[in-house]
Amino acid sequence: MSTLLIHLAAPIQSWGIDSKFDTRRTAREPSKSGVVGLLSAAMGIKRNEDEKIATLASLRFGVRVDKEGTLMRDFHTARDTRKKQVVSYVTNRYYLMDAVFVVGLEGSDKKLLEQMEKALNAPAFPLYLGRRSCPPVGKLSLGIYDCPLEEALKAVPIQAEGQHDIRMVVDTDTDEIGSIVKDMPVSFNPENRQYTFRQIREEIINFNCRPTEHDPMEELG
Amino acid sequence: MKNNVYLDFHVIQTVPPSCVNRDDTGSPKTAIYGGVTRARVSSQAWKRAIRLMFKDEFPNENLGVRTKKIVDLIAQRIRKINSDIVEKDAVGLAQKVLEAAGIKTKDNKGKIETGALFFISESQMTELARLAAFETENFDKKKCSEAVKENPAIDIALFGRMVADDPSLNYDAAAQVAHAISTHAVHNEYDYFTAVDDCAPEDNAGAGHLGTVEYNSSTLYRYATVNITELAKNLGSDTAIAVKGFADAFIRSMPTGKQNTFANRTLPDAVYVTIRKDQPINMAGAFEKPVPTTKEGFVDKSIEKLNDYAKKMYADFFSEPEIEWAIGSKIGKVEETVSLNTLLEGLEKEIRDVVATAEVEA
Repeated sequence: MSTLLIHLAAPIQSWGIDSKFDTRRTAREPSKSGVVGLLSAAMGIKRNEDEKIATLASLRFGVRVDKEGTLMRDFHTARDTRKKQVVSYVTNRYYLMDAVFVVGLEGSDKKLLEQMEKALNAPAFPLYLGRRSCPPVGKLSLGIYDCPLEEALKAVPIQAEGQHDIRMVVDTDTDEIGSIVKDMPVSFNPENRQYTFRQIREEIINFNCRPTEHDPMEELG
Repeated sequence: MKNNVYLDFHVIQTVPPSCVNRDDTGSPKTAIYGGVTRARVSSQAWKRAIRLMFKDEFPNENLGVRTKKIVDLIAQRIRKINSDIVEKDAVGLAQKVLEAAGIKTKDNKGKIETGALFFISESQMTELARLAAFETENFDKKKCSEAVKENPAIDIALFGRMVADDPSLNYDAAAQVAHAISTHAVHNEYDYFTAVDDCAPEDNAGAGHLGTVEYNSSTLYRYATVNITELAKNLGSDTAIAVKGFADAFIRSMPTGKQNTFANRTLPDAVYVTIRKDQPINMAGAFEKPVPTTKEGFVDKSIEKLNDYAKKMYADFFSEPEIEWAIGSKIGKVEETVSLNTLLEGLEKEIRDVVATAEVEA
């Protein structure tokens, strides 16, 4: 088993799993469908190529929350100009601010992981973290580790300062006890998007980092 | 992947006390980054400002072709979308879709042509080809005639379109615009104002109206990227002009929030544009540690941070860009800064070459 680790950070990002139309919520960490979509974009896979997307979705998925995001509500108005009377309407779209995640995808086919890593470094389409207005910051791939998902997620150092109790959310087998989330992509076809459930387990790992010193004079320059 | 061409725009721009983009409570929008509150102008606000400027950027006459041979042109595009369709069938489909759009065709010595010269843009032809490639019999007259009437060519190809009732009309955006955030920490301030009633009686000292306007001032980092490969698929020979227009509009536009109160229509302090063959690079990371408040202001330090971060990214993670331009300050490997006009002309020429090379290879 090998695991590809991906660093997802940006000033704002959003991972929707259960809302459409006027209120667009975000989960507290990247969704599997969002990350599968990101990898598909990198690899140039189109929305109706269900088989290729299924291959990516079959990989085991885990997230390490290096820095929890703060919730932001963006007041976003839009206009529908199709009818004679232009209609203006309000949407509320939620984002996570200042968050940093490390995402892992585990599989037995190392060649596929290598293809994915290559695609992240030269994506066919520009990448974004949940919404188009959220391009990622920094290099995405943290490398391929020759070990299972949890080991790989614990191996790479924390990508944010001053954090020590780190939350991890990973895919589990159905015979284990866990909660379910409906972000397992079945089809991204715009005519008929479909998602199903995957089972997850959440845990807190202590990384034993020393918290950084607080400097009260810092803002005075 | 081998044909990636990404055009990145990085802008450092200062706005004075203003409320360029506000939320439903009237406060200027903000975001927390690197642990501190920053000023923010939403992606959608600036995209709208760009779109409004397009009306001046693109006079209709400059784009598209004037021809009788639309049937063949559309047939070619139908076959590009769906290579299973043979030439004869493609011509038949093209004829049908044009007729559904209200454009009559006739047989001219074996060639099907329109009766008179018709002006049509690249993306109108692509739109008709898309409608034709997936239907075979029932062409929706309304959709087809709209495809020809609207000239949303450039702004749909750049910003995309999503039509919930009919996903076949969806376009993926070739341009990506990030939310602009300040390079430093910001605290919103309040302007308490009164409005005087000119006709109030002498003995009434009270104001006619009391209120507050919330505002802030900031030096913003603005980022956008254009996927030239994808844009060229939709706009063909119009790509270079579209990119030039987008660049000009991105650099010079300003959302109009509270414009009359604050008159904040500024121009950038520095612009850095790159063409890359691998991936777009957002340089917001340069400001994750906010620029501190000093007597020197924020502009110079912001430009310096952007320059240092760019060089670090190129050394540590990515290669140098293929081509770079800078206005206002030398950034990256740029040897001489240029004026906006020089940048736009240089950009148009480069993109024209890129698209021409790609067409030859295709």
